[in-house]
Amino acid sequence: MDRNVLTKWFKQPQKMGNKYSLWAVYFCTGCGIIEVPPVITTRWDAERFGVIPVGSPRQANLFLITGYVSLKTLKAIIRTYEQMPEPKYTVGFGSCPINGGMYWDSYNTIKHLDKYIPVDGWIAGCMPRPEAIFIAVTHLWTLIDKEMANGYKKYREKYTYYRKNQERALGKLAWPPLYNINKRNG
Amino acid sequence: MDNSIKRKLKAIFRGIEISTEKNGRLVISVPMDSTGDVLKSLKDQGYIHLALISCVDWIDKEKLELVYILSSYSENDHIILKTNIPRKKLDFRTVIDIFENAEPYEREIHELFGIDFKGHPRQIPLFLERDYEIPPFRKDFDTRKYVKEYFDEIPFVKEDK
Repeated sequence: MDRNVLTKWFKQPQKMGNKYSLWAVYFCTGCGIIEVPPVITTRWDAERFGVIPVGSPRQANLFLITGYVSLKTLKAIIRTYEQMPEPKYTVGFGSCPINGGMYWDSYNTIKHLDKYIPVDGWIAGCMPRPEAIFIAVTHLWTLIDKEMANGYKKYREKYTYYRKNQERALGKLAWPPLYNINKRNG
Repeated sequence: MDNSIKRKLKAIFRGIEISTEKNGRLVISVPMDSTGDVLKSLKDQGYIHLALISCVDWIDKEKLELVYILSSYSENDHIILKTNIPRKKLDFRTVIDIFENAEPYEREIHELFGIDFKGHPRQIPLFLERDYEIPPFRKDFDTRKYVKEYFDEIPFVKEDK
């Protein structure tokens, strides 16, 4: 182990623990999820990077959105994201969550995911290779080190706007707001 | 075998057109009113499996085309049955009384093309979350305009810097 890393471990053990054990929600959207089984199994073995899939959002802190997001999926994504404990990091995988991709004129697919939940990083491509997930994870480590992966803080601060956007896309939401809503700004 | 079906159908029903595809598969065009009867008689002749109901929007001809694909286990063959519905009056009969598995197909077509299947027990939304003025699979539904109105209008959440 590098001596630099050792000091980091002594200074902020909690942050380093979070960083090296990114547990991903096993949430399947669209076609990108087909890249995830080779990533988590022996061919590319994501556990080298501390990434393992978990079934429940309560134990996870990495959220991979692996493809196009229809309105029904968006509902599930928001609920899953809100259930995850902080700190939590979101990565949009593939070109569809970025700007709609090939569904840019679809009637039922949202175009920009970061209008509804904060996204810390994007992986471009249609499809990205499984290695791209590791590039994203290592890049996310750098961002966490520099305190730049603060999407969850942004979500807390700007919740009024996010909730408003979610309601504009989905109509009235069936669940109560996660944080306080500032009515004057919203 | 195909010829016997051809002859039988031609003898019973009027106004139907039967053509044969390259691979020997029958394509039957039926007027709207006799669709149910033709389906029933085909079911009696061994085509007991309704594989698919599909819909095509021919906007230039001012009509929607329903396509029924039947298959037979004894003949080991498919039959394609087509019928046209005028776009002005999108009423049609349900075929659940003949093929029970038509229910979700008809529900889907009702949702995406707006055809009203008379006698269908529950024509409630299947896939869609929103209400659309024009059902979204019809050709006159302007997807780009819709995307501009509903998705592009939603603003980005700005970051403080």
